[in-house]
Amino acid sequence: MSFVPKKQTYNARINEVVLGVGEKAVTIGGQNVLAFHTFDAEIANAPKIGVELTDAGMAMCTMPGEQKFYEGCATVADMAKRAETMEGASFICLHLEGADPNGENKSVDECVALAKSVADATDMPLVIMGCKNIEKDTELFNKIAEALSGKNILVLSARDENYKAIGAGAGLAYGQKVGAESAVDINLAKQLNTVMTQLGVNAQSIVMNIGSAAAGYGFEYVASTLDRVKDAALSQSDAMLQMPIITPVSADTWGVKESIMPEADMPEWGSQEERGIEMEIVTAAAVLASGSDAVIMRHPEAIRTIAAMIGELV
Amino acid sequence: MYQVIFTFENGAAPVTATAAPGETLLETARAANVAIDAPCSGNGSCGKCRVKLLEGAVEGLQTGHITDEDYAAGWRLSCASKVTSDVTVLVPDIASAYQSRMKTADLSTGEEIAIFTRLEEDLKAAGVAFSNDFVEAEVAMEAPTLEDTMPDTERLTLALQDALGCEEVRLGYPVVHKLAAVLRHSGFHVTAAGTLRSGVMQVMDLRPFDAPQPMCGLAIDIGTTTVSAVLMDLKTGKLLAKGSGGNGQIRYGADVINRIVEQGRPGGVERLQKAIVEETLQPLTRALCRSAGVEAERILRCCVASNTTMNHLLLGVDADPVRMEPYIPTFFRWDGLKAGDIRLIANPDARVVLAPNIGSYVGGDITAGTLTSRIWDKDEFSLFIDLGTNGEIVFGNRDFMMSCACSAGPAFEGGDISCGMRATDGAVEAVTIDRETLEPVLSIVGKPGQKPVGICGSGIIDVIAELYRTSAISAKGHFVRENRRILRDEHGMGRYVLAFGSESDTGREIAITEVDIECFIRAKGAIFSAIHIMLSSLDMDVSVLEHIYVAGGIGSGINMDNAVRIGMFPDVDRELFTYIGNSSLTGAYALTLSTAAEEKVHQLASNMTYLELSTEPRYMEEFVAACFLPHTDRELFPSSVQE
Repeated sequence: MSFVPKKQTYNARINEVVLGVGEKAVTIGGQNVLAFHTFDAEIANAPKIGVELTDAGMAMCTMPGEQKFYEGCATVADMAKRAETMEGASFICLHLEGADPNGENKSVDECVALAKSVADATDMPLVIMGCKNIEKDTELFNKIAEALSGKNILVLSARDENYKAIGAGAGLAYGQKVGAESAVDINLAKQLNTVMTQLGVNAQSIVMNIGSAAAGYGFEYVASTLDRVKDAALSQSDAMLQMPIITPVSADTWGVKESIMPEADMPEWGSQEERGIEMEIVTAAAVLASGSDAVIMRHPEAIRTIAAMIGELV
Repeated sequence: MYQVIFTFENGAAPVTATAAPGETLLETARAANVAIDAPCSGNGSCGKCRVKLLEGAVEGLQTGHITDEDYAAGWRLSCASKVTSDVTVLVPDIASAYQSRMKTADLSTGEEIAIFTRLEEDLKAAGVAFSNDFVEAEVAMEAPTLEDTMPDTERLTLALQDALGCEEVRLGYPVVHKLAAVLRHSGFHVTAAGTLRSGVMQVMDLRPFDAPQPMCGLAIDIGTTTVSAVLMDLKTGKLLAKGSGGNGQIRYGADVINRIVEQGRPGGVERLQKAIVEETLQPLTRALCRSAGVEAERILRCCVASNTTMNHLLLGVDADPVRMEPYIPTFFRWDGLKAGDIRLIANPDARVVLAPNIGSYVGGDITAGTLTSRIWDKDEFSLFIDLGTNGEIVFGNRDFMMSCACSAGPAFEGGDISCGMRATDGAVEAVTIDRETLEPVLSIVGKPGQKPVGICGSGIIDVIAELYRTSAISAKGHFVRENRRILRDEHGMGRYVLAFGSESDTGREIAITEVDIECFIRAKGAIFSAIHIMLSSLDMDVSVLEHIYVAGGIGSGINMDNAVRIGMFPDVDRELFTYIGNSSLTGAYALTLSTAAEEKVHQLASNMTYLELSTEPRYMEEFVAACFLPHTDRELFPSSVQE
């Protein structure tokens, strides 16, 4: 008698969330099996990759590979147009780092204008990532959500401190998708989803960001939390944990010493660009294997590699 | 050096002190023995040490605890204000409330007495005899003459041997000290009080026969926040007086850890011992004696039930090992203490029974409380929960008992809550809120017509449960409805006003803020997760429970529906819950009266297993899951619903 593997499918499903409009709209989530378990059931929607662009424009391109890819771009909108052509990219993520009051403190109006220009330049879905300052992000997200009304963007993210304002503004008033960010803890993730839905935000409009870290920087907590969130969502049918998960990878990996230490200072470590790309690849591969439904990345080479991995596995 | 004059809102005489430049007002106040409430031990986080600047200036930042309006009116946090000139400040009543609001209870109604008599009956039914070896003998002697030259001591000894048929009589120093005077004033007709054990009479007190006073026992419960005591007749068990007051150590920190840190500073051991003995127990005992009309020397036996830190601080032994790994205190059980050793107001020879500790964080208050709960006398499983600054939980039955402690903070006793107070006059102890208008109906401790001053533990449970039921707050404890009673400060922090300034006794608004709610959610989360972990460590769940005994001085009672609604207690049949009041005090009462109860409590202590939660890897996760209304796992609380 031949061996027949037992299929392990679940009665529950991860919510499908559509980002963007038109032909290039993407759907994340939807599967009823663990990540890449194609032998159990067909994966409804393969994990998606977003390209991170910051408000700094070309100044963000520190690596030769990136400079080459975006060569000739003058504005962030130009870069967004170019990013659309990147192999494996499904959406654009505009990271408004410069809005931080403790940094450049770019005005809300300036950021709104920038977001509008990017949205106009590309047909791909747009994700807006804030500056991590609670007050500024709240204002920023709601203003951008208003300006890009109808574009079906995702704002990343509402947190425990400002979920009400963002949920009510970007989520309810302007009908955009809302990210729910918690700090690598399954209970906190669930609590935030619960209060957001109690507020009236549709569970199908929420995407979780359960927090992340670069591989080697406490990543075991991230992996364990991802595993348990997916397990609770599928095997225990926990509706408050069935939101798909998006994980910003590049924002973490391009800040660790493996990626920022120049080759001149650490000749024995080899090429800085290669190291940075590898950090991005291993981290993205690991979060995807643990169940993340989308990742946000930066380097064209890393994105191409992860897209190839997803293509092989799904 | 600058001069600081403290004046008091309650009319007490002003105190003048000197301050070194750069010293904070709180430090100056402490050095001058001026009581200013500082539960956070002066690190600027609790906002309770407000004083009003009348003259002069101080240097310091306006913290988030003081509104612009109050700042302009001169209100400052004493811990954040450095003295830079001669100043005069007003210490408001609320800040010194923990000391001034000592209260002796009215025993005429019978309500206060009922729990003590019930305990006596219950313990007797469980086979614990209510007897002790105190005796009183009335003896008349011949007055000495030039022919009859026997000294007073021998005269009394012979008379007592005759009267009691005992072999030996020992006279304590307090007796010998007043012997001559008492004998001669009474015409050598006296009553002697003391213990009679195996033929030995130990005389502890002597009185003229025609001025009798009962032999008294004093039972004391020393809580981290509240101290309460009862005075009783050692022979009949009758309660003579009952009273409570704030623990004078509060100004050195709200929780045991802050107190231990404070006692580690130079002179700290003496300061903390003085705060509990001289500023708390002595005035409280004097008030009890006055109310009962008995003299302090008539207190012949005492019992103290308190947590491990509190009994170490009471005895003035270094409590530092309690908080340091491997957490080994000086004693669990020690029997040699006499009242005179630590200057208690009592007969100096009176033995002080200490209810035994079983761990650094499970102390005599719990062993005494366990005695009261009688979970050790049942076949079925019971849970005993003591809601205090430390929450302690005992689970078990006749065959075994397990205990654990979790740090709930002082929230149940009104600490760490902006308008919190102990359950004394003016405390809001129960609240209902209208679903539509969000208008509250308050029930207040005190005489009819008493206006609210603050809110005590049972009231806080009610407010939060009612705000949740009426959907005014989210499961995170954030305000989500708009109403005239829901206000926000300039930082956007919401609060619910229970009583506007015009409705309160102090003229200040009484409100519960989002920070208070968050703080309380943590306290209830600690309790629930401890229950959950303890049961699951035995592979059991709440369905095995047949009795849940809830103790603690958090008010006259707890609305169990509300306690379940916010996820503090497990969602089981409400019939299983029994509120047994201050079980530590009733346990101490039994230990004072009964030598058999004393033996029993030591036996219980040695049978209890201690579960250390801090080494339990799942505790943190359970705790986070429980810090939500009612719980992150809603299925644990099917009956908790919002309207």
